[in-house]
Amino acid sequence: MLGSERGVVEEWLSEYKVLPETQLSAYAATLHRKKSLVSALYKVIQDPNNELLEPICHQLFELYRSSEVRLKRFTMQFLPELISIYLRLTASRDRQSNGCIEALLLGIYNLEIADKDGNNKVLSFTIPSLSKPSIYHEPSALGSMALTEGALSQHDLLRVVYSDLHPQRETFTAQNRFEVLSFLMLCYNSAIVYMPPSSYQSLCRMGSRLCVSGFPRQHEKRWKELCGRVVLDPAFMVQLLTGVYHAIYNGEWDLGQEVLEDIIYRAQLELYSQPLLVANAMKNSLPFDAPDSSQHGQKVLKVEVTPTVARISRSAITTASIRRHRWRREGPEGTVTGEDSINYNDADEGFSSGASVSSQPVGAKQSSSTTQRSGSRKGGSMRSAKEKDLPIYSKPIESRDSTPRKQPIPATADPSLDAIELSPMKKHLSLPAGHVVPKANSLSLIRTSSTSSSKSFDYVNGSQAGGSGGIDGVTNLSACNTNRFSTISLQEDRLGGGEGKDLLSAGAPLTKQSRSPSFNMQLISQV
Amino acid sequence: MAAKKAGSRLEVEIERSRSECQWDRIHELVKQLSAKLISNDDMAELLLGEAKLEQYLKDNPLKQGPSPRGPRPKLTDVRKHLTAALDRGNLKSDLMQEANLIMAKLDYMEGDYKEALGVYARVGLDDIQLVASPPYKLRMIAEAYSTKGLCLEKLPCSSSTNSLHVDRDQEIITCYEKAGDIALLYLQEVERVQTANIQNRSPKPGPAAPDQEMSFFLETGLQRAHVLYFKNGNLTRGVGRFREILRAVETRTTQNLRMTIARQLAEILLRGMCEQSYWNPLEDPPNQSPLDDPLRQGLNTKNYALSRRPRVYSGENIFCPQENTEEALLLLLISESMANRDAVLSRIPEHKNDRIISLQSASVVYDLLTIALGRRGQYEMLSECLERAMKFAFEEFHLWYQFALSLMAAGKVMSSAASLRGVQEDLQRKALLAFQRAHSLSPTDHQAAFYLALQLAISRQIPEALGYVRQALQLQGDDSNSLHLLALLLSAQKHYHDALNIMDMALSEYPENFILLFTKVKLESLCRGPDEALLSCKHMLQIWKSCYNLTNPSDSGRGSSLLDRAIADRRQLNTITLPDFSDPETGSVHATSIAASRVEQALSEVASSLQSSAPKQGPLHPWMTLAQIWLHAAEVYIGIGKPSEATACIQEAANLFPMSHNVLYMRGQVSELRGNIDEAKRWYEEALSISPTHVKSMQRLSLILHHHGRYSLAEKILRDAVQVNSTAHEVWNSLGEVLQAQGNDDAATECFLTALELEASSPIVPFTIIPRVL
Repeated sequence: MLGSERGVVEEWLSEYKVLPETQLSAYAATLHRKKSLVSALYKVIQDPNNELLEPICHQLFELYRSSEVRLKRFTMQFLPELISIYLRLTASRDRQSNGCIEALLLGIYNLEIADKDGNNKVLSFTIPSLSKPSIYHEPSALGSMALTEGALSQHDLLRVVYSDLHPQRETFTAQNRFEVLSFLMLCYNSAIVYMPPSSYQSLCRMGSRLCVSGFPRQHEKRWKELCGRVVLDPAFMVQLLTGVYHAIYNGEWDLGQEVLEDIIYRAQLELYSQPLLVANAMKNSLPFDAPDSSQHGQKVLKVEVTPTVARISRSAITTASIRRHRWRREGPEGTVTGEDSINYNDADEGFSSGASVSSQPVGAKQSSSTTQRSGSRKGGSMRSAKEKDLPIYSKPIESRDSTPRKQPIPATADPSLDAIELSPMKKHLSLPAGHVVPKANSLSLIRTSSTSSSKSFDYVNGSQAGGSGGIDGVTNLSACNTNRFSTISLQEDRLGGGEGKDLLSAGAPLTKQSRSPSFNMQLISQV
Repeated sequence: MAAKKAGSRLEVEIERSRSECQWDRIHELVKQLSAKLISNDDMAELLLGEAKLEQYLKDNPLKQGPSPRGPRPKLTDVRKHLTAALDRGNLKSDLMQEANLIMAKLDYMEGDYKEALGVYARVGLDDIQLVASPPYKLRMIAEAYSTKGLCLEKLPCSSSTNSLHVDRDQEIITCYEKAGDIALLYLQEVERVQTANIQNRSPKPGPAAPDQEMSFFLETGLQRAHVLYFKNGNLTRGVGRFREILRAVETRTTQNLRMTIARQLAEILLRGMCEQSYWNPLEDPPNQSPLDDPLRQGLNTKNYALSRRPRVYSGENIFCPQENTEEALLLLLISESMANRDAVLSRIPEHKNDRIISLQSASVVYDLLTIALGRRGQYEMLSECLERAMKFAFEEFHLWYQFALSLMAAGKVMSSAASLRGVQEDLQRKALLAFQRAHSLSPTDHQAAFYLALQLAISRQIPEALGYVRQALQLQGDDSNSLHLLALLLSAQKHYHDALNIMDMALSEYPENFILLFTKVKLESLCRGPDEALLSCKHMLQIWKSCYNLTNPSDSGRGSSLLDRAIADRRQLNTITLPDFSDPETGSVHATSIAASRVEQALSEVASSLQSSAPKQGPLHPWMTLAQIWLHAAEVYIGIGKPSEATACIQEAANLFPMSHNVLYMRGQVSELRGNIDEAKRWYEEALSISPTHVKSMQRLSLILHHHGRYSLAEKILRDAVQVNSTAHEVWNSLGEVLQAQGNDDAATECFLTALELEASSPIVPFTIIPRVL
């Protein structure tokens, strides 16, 4: 450490002590510009034997405790470095020398776990549900996806607590160590936008060192300081990843990716599924093209202008095309033969409901979900019918409906609204052909029976798949089966010719892939 | 539909074709139009000019990036038509305006940006009314704004001062913003009109209206504003623009755009923002933000107004995100549902490209979902989402891998891991070899040393195990399992006080670790007497209470269980390792004992659901731990001969798990203590009917049978018990006694010797209590 750096730090130490309350705000506004101070402070923190370490930790804590948010953030920028030093000293069992860093970390932790009134801070968030309208969507427009049984079972928005019950901590123990550190990283991440580039660099350094120290990969690194393996905790690694993810896109493209690799390396060795899961996703979704490497420290928030034309050719069988197809087939009376009903299990419904059926209580909830689903029909696939309460058959109908396989049902001959309400449920009714559908007044009865029969249907499939219906995996299998089944039958239909084939292949010449050019814009701005 | 004069069916038809961009129909309609009135000629020129220009654009689509330059021979015809329409000056003013707008577009196409801008100034683009305009007019205005923006971008800025530069940039962006807003309005209107047409015509089915396509100009208007904001480093307004587009009610044509923009906004939220810099979509953005380039600070609020705006999603109680991750999640779920809709299901080779496209767009969304949900620890929900991704996942390694990891992260494979833990006798030797090899390969890995030590301990090679556990502790001084094993090894050598000291040391680092605490209680009752042990039990109850603040089991439903799970998950992973509630004393965990603990759980749930007081909600582990604490206390009371206190403790455990074999076994112990041998026998039999391999119950039952003189049955049970756990010295001892009573002295001697040998190396609690989950 140079004498000038020492001078800068000492000046900073004495300056703040005599600062009057009134000048706090002005001081906070200028503090973050003192680049030489920040780098000098890093040097002190990295040197456990420096006698300035203790006064610095003390002052950093004073800043953190102040009412000025910018002073808080000044301290916060050193958090990665502090955690890194603390963990390395702990691993090397040189525990005496990190007392003041430990105290600073615990001090920040104890301040952060409580809100202004001293109550335990509860951090929670709402899991949005597509079945509830939002400022960005209308459930019916998303089709049946939003209204699967699975989705409906969580129709109420879920408020999930992701951090609470943090008790005050006076000392670090092996047991509470990562609970404290993970929470500190959570705090750091929630303010990460306000951190300077030097802090991101420190974060990346910390990540790499903690993950590979003492492992064979350390030999590939440029840094050589010897340090044993540092114990890490999966939740802490996930928090670390969140910070690194931000750094990658905000100036530390190369360094950030190196840490990402190191975290994956460590997570694989430890068989930590959580950080591995998140890190894989981060790696897989990295943009293909790196930013201009000549300009260091750039933001890489890439926004590409993409073609708005559908890129999937119309002849391809998709969930959407199956739905379109089905609507044509169901026709005006909504008649369905027993055999057909199998194919009518919606592809994506099959996926969600397959998993949730076993846990769904039978009763009022079921019948209400059925009504809602019928609503989705009108709104989703039948967008045209949305404005008015329009009968389903107003959709352009192909002559295919008069195929002899279909047997008209006498009871629903007059197309009243009730009959229409019935039709979407009928797809679940695996009743023999020609079964007389009861009149509207027994509607509720039908609903229950239809849902229960659909349920039993799922179970039948489950046992075909070779297992009991209780376990998730097995029901999923059955869902897959249904799904494949419907796809196959669709293809058969196409081969079978007739109107259906024409309809599907009619779109083939229209295949346009990236007809509209996509120009990629890499948005780069100086940090 | 806009009411037009009667008899103007033709005009309606023309308007419709223009709105729906069916340019090939115009030629036919123009012929009919000209046939009616001579004065329609100008109108015809206008229509033909427009139709030809648009048809040209359809055939030769413009590309983003390079802008058109120079005259195009194919367009001379268009200019002729338009000039003819404009020059005669017979057109009504609004048609004149339209002709001018088309002309300006042509100017742009031929690279004459100045001229185009001049036309826009002349016609007063900003003054054209949006209210009561038919859809095609809206499209023209939107395209005009977009073209104006393109022209402005092309012309060099005359001034060099920075502030004017910023103004110019903003002017360009405002053009695109207006273009985008009006484009959305147009698309909504045209869809509304189409829908109305279909309804009017029903039930006679008409040809389905063709899906609207977005022209180059509309696309530019909708996307270029936010692209420029991001390019200029103004993240705040870029995000604002994204949100405006997404809040507009979707149309068929905008679905793909929305899917993309929703994903892009989610990316920005996850990559470039954080909780403290967040403002929700209905709030005003902060005036100053670190998100923005400090050199280009402008106003962060919108600076234009339109007389008509696209419809937005509205209504009471609609959900508005309040937090960064929340908004990202909502957007990703929307994007996911759309990506899912486009999942190409067929596997025929012709659709390979389609499959790749649909997979790619879905894959990005699922990765982002993983990042967002992982951040909040919602692995359960994540695994549900990834399950939906499986329809894309055929032969896709990444998706399968992620799905598997999410299941692991959500703890859904714990049971299978537990079943793997059961190591059979012959496998033990292999395990030992494997651990030795692992340790020699990685001598600095404390876990390798620890597992080697544990394996040696299980096979009762105590001194060797001590050596390795010390190595493990050298490498990692505060590993709870290593410390625990050291204490157990010391107890096996009957150094109980040393063991207790080690436990105290371990507990100073892991004060809330129940496995350690259970062992401590056992050691204490040996070393420091029952009072200390009971104090420890009381202490454990306090810790339990502070750890699991499960005071509100009244909440029911998914929400609370998720919430409980969130808490419990963290606890489980970070702080608490729980004893295996199946037989800890068995050297190898048999499938039956796992099944038994399942049965135990199931029966207990059934039984406790009959009692209203028993807790029903929440994770099972905390309650199991509580039951264990009570049973430990009961054991201490039994040890000091206090049956009634013991019974009270057992009752507490029984309230939680009435059908637990451990509870039934303890009841048997109390009965024995009271001298009620027959009752004890019934309890042990009940315990064994729940868990047929519960060694302790087997041993006690056989003792009673022995007492009653039923030697062969006792012997049978003891032999079974030895099969289950060959290292239980009490069992060997009892077996010896039974054999002796039957006169089989040789065999009895062997059993006694085995028992002696095992007792000499027997730890205070079985080594297998230490969790072995890699």
